[in-house]
Amino acid sequence: MLPPVRDRRKAAVLLSLVLAAPTGCAAAGGRGDAAASVATRLLTAVQGKNGAAACALLAPDTASEVEQSGGKACAEAILDENLPQPGAVTGTAVYGQWAQVRVGDDTVFLAAFPGGWRVVAAGCQSRGDRPYDCRLQGG
Amino acid sequence: MKTFLRENSLGLVFGLLFLIVLVAQSLSGLADFNERQLTQGLNAISYGRYVTSASFGVDVAENWQSEYLQFLLYIFLTVWLLHKGSPESKSLDQAGLESDKDQKVGEFAAEDSPKWAKVSGFRRTLYSNSLGLVMGFIFLGSWLTQSIAGVAAYDEEQLSNLQDPVTWGTYVTEPDFWNRTLQNWQSELLAVASMAILPIYLRQRGSPQSKPVGAPHTATGVEG
Repeated sequence: MLPPVRDRRKAAVLLSLVLAAPTGCAAAGGRGDAAASVATRLLTAVQGKNGAAACALLAPDTASEVEQSGGKACAEAILDENLPQPGAVTGTAVYGQWAQVRVGDDTVFLAAFPGGWRVVAAGCQSRGDRPYDCRLQGG
Repeated sequence: MKTFLRENSLGLVFGLLFLIVLVAQSLSGLADFNERQLTQGLNAISYGRYVTSASFGVDVAENWQSEYLQFLLYIFLTVWLLHKGSPESKSLDQAGLESDKDQKVGEFAAEDSPKWAKVSGFRRTLYSNSLGLVMGFIFLGSWLTQSIAGVAAYDEEQLSNLQDPVTWGTYVTEPDFWNRTLQNWQSELLAVASMAILPIYLRQRGSPQSKPVGAPHTATGVEG
C-alpha cells in the first residue's frame, strides 16, 4: 500500500530540497553586487591615482605579482598598469568562489576571501575560448 | 526494538552505511577542494560552504543518477529479457507482463494484497509500474541536478581559469557533462551484467542473490 498522503508530501518536499539545493550559482544578487562594487572601486582608485586603495582590493598573489613585475611597491606599480577607465557595470557572474564583472571596457575576475571579494585579474581582454589576456593578474 | 532492528537490518544497515560514506565523501571532497584553493593562492573554505557547493552537488548527483538508471533498466528489462541459468532472470517461459492470476491483481488479488492491486483502471496500472516510475523519476531528477550543479561547478572552474562561463544549454553538450555521465553509466552496466551472468556458475551460500549452492547451472530464476 502507498504511504499516507502526508508522508508522501513530506517525501516530495524532501526530494525537492535534495534535488534543488546544490546548484551553488548566482548570476547576480548580493554577492554579484559586492563583486561589481569591488571591481568598480579598483578602477576608480587607479583613475584617481590612489594606488594604496587600489592595492587593498587585490588578491595577495596579484598584489605580489604587480610588485614583482613593476619592481616597486604595489601602490606605485599598479598606476603604471594602464587599466581601463571605470564605467557602467554591464554584467556580473558569480559561481562559487569566483566572480566575473564587466565594467566599462574592462573585464575583471575576482575571488572570495575572508574580507570579501578581491581582484585576481583586471584589464582583461577576451581571446575567445582561450583564457582572457589580462594586464594585471596573480600567479 | 530488537525484533524491529533484526527484521529491518538490511535497509537500516545500508541506510547507515550510505550516510557514513556520504559524510566521508564530503570530508575528502572538502580536502581536495581546499588543496586546489591553496594552489590558486586562495583561502580554504568551510565544511558548511563546501557541502552546499556546486562542486559537492555534482559529485553526489552524478553517482545517484547512474545508480537509479541502473535499477530502472534492470527493473524494466528483466520483465522481457531472460538469461538461462541466472537467478536474476525469470523462468524462461515467463517473459513479459505475466497474467493477472500470476500477478495477483484484480479478481485474483488476495485479501492482503495492496488496495490498488485490487482495483482496475488507472490506479492499478499506476501501481503496477510504481517501482519503475519512482526509480525513473529519481534518475531524471538526479541527472537534472547533475547538470545544474555541474554547470555551476564548471563555470567556477572556467572563471578560475580566466575564461567565460557557459550556459546550461551549452554545458549539456560539453565533454565535462558527458564524461561525468558516461563514466558512471559504463560501470553500472558492467555491474549489472556481472550480477546477471556470474551467479550462473558461482554461488554465495545463504544469499538470495545466489542460487542454492547445489542448484544446477541451468536452473533459471531460482534464488537461494
